[in-house]
Amino acid sequence: MKMTITNKLLLGFGGLLLLTAVIAGIGIYAVSNLRHSAQETTRIGARLNSISVEIQVHNLEAQRKATSYFLQKAALGEENARATYLDEATFEVHEIQSLASKAVQLAPSPEVKAKFKRIDTALHEYEQALDKAVAASQPNQSAKEVQDAMASYDAAGESLHETAEDGEIAGHDVAQQFQDEIERTSKRSVGLAIGFSIVGLVLALSTSFALARAILVPVRHLREVAENVSLGNLDISVHRHSSDEIGDLADSFQRMVTAVKFFRMEAETAQADAASAGGGSR
Amino acid sequence: MSVFSQACDKARPFLGPATEKFMERQCKLLKVDQAEITKEHLVKLAWYVKSSASLIMDAAQAEKLEKTIAAG
Repeated sequence: MKMTITNKLLLGFGGLLLLTAVIAGIGIYAVSNLRHSAQETTRIGARLNSISVEIQVHNLEAQRKATSYFLQKAALGEENARATYLDEATFEVHEIQSLASKAVQLAPSPEVKAKFKRIDTALHEYEQALDKAVAASQPNQSAKEVQDAMASYDAAGESLHETAEDGEIAGHDVAQQFQDEIERTSKRSVGLAIGFSIVGLVLALSTSFALARAILVPVRHLREVAENVSLGNLDISVHRHSSDEIGDLADSFQRMVTAVKFFRMEAETAQADAASAGGGSR
Repeated sequence: MSVFSQACDKARPFLGPATEKFMERQCKLLKVDQAEITKEHLVKLAWYVKSSASLIMDAAQAEKLEKTIAAG
């Protein structure tokens, strides 16, 4: 491809357009990445938070109902108390189990998954402790057995409460983690955009400088040649600086100067011949 | 088209409006009428062209002109 001025300008501006497109691409990438992170934060972080809170509520409800069963058993009778309180407590435990499984599925990292899995383990222990406490609350059990069973039931309840709290903290951590991710992405994108803008600026400046030089240097040279020829100085050489339109113009100048030089030489020779012929005839 | 005209066409990008007059002068130096110039004369004509052209243009240009004419 011949590097004409038009092609040079097209290449220069095309390059700048490409650079602008790259910077715009980074901007679009950053915005879409940030939007994605924000959506993830909203979806996963908020869901884990709400699951953790729900687990806490169900846990408190399960323990309240189990305690009511033990307290109301004598007044309502075993069957009624079981139907009114214990079955409800078991239902709450199953709810906690299903919520903990959902949280394990949603959790974005192994650490968070492990925290929600611990709820499941604590829940299992709580169920066993509840069964033991229920069995111990039946008639003919020694006071020691009842006391031990209730103590281990309380401990399991406390452990379940603590692991549920850990889950809630993990939910907060996940939300925080995504916030950090958004922060990192936005900082990285800003850095990239600034970097590319600086590179773009430097490239734009150097391209403009190179383009201006490519056009101005041969034009200045031709102006100098034209000025010399117009003042009668034909002993000036015309240089072709480039193979573009200005290069073609230099060739034309060169031809013109050569022709003028030749015609002047011819005229001088003719004048000398005439002078010598005149001198000879005298 | 005569050989002389062909040589003139090749010299025109170097000599412009002075081409015909310049080439006529070289034929005179070669002592051959322009109408009688043949391909066999071209190498000698090109040498005269280079010698005269180096007075009015760069040596490199003159050499290039010589080669162009000699190539026929």
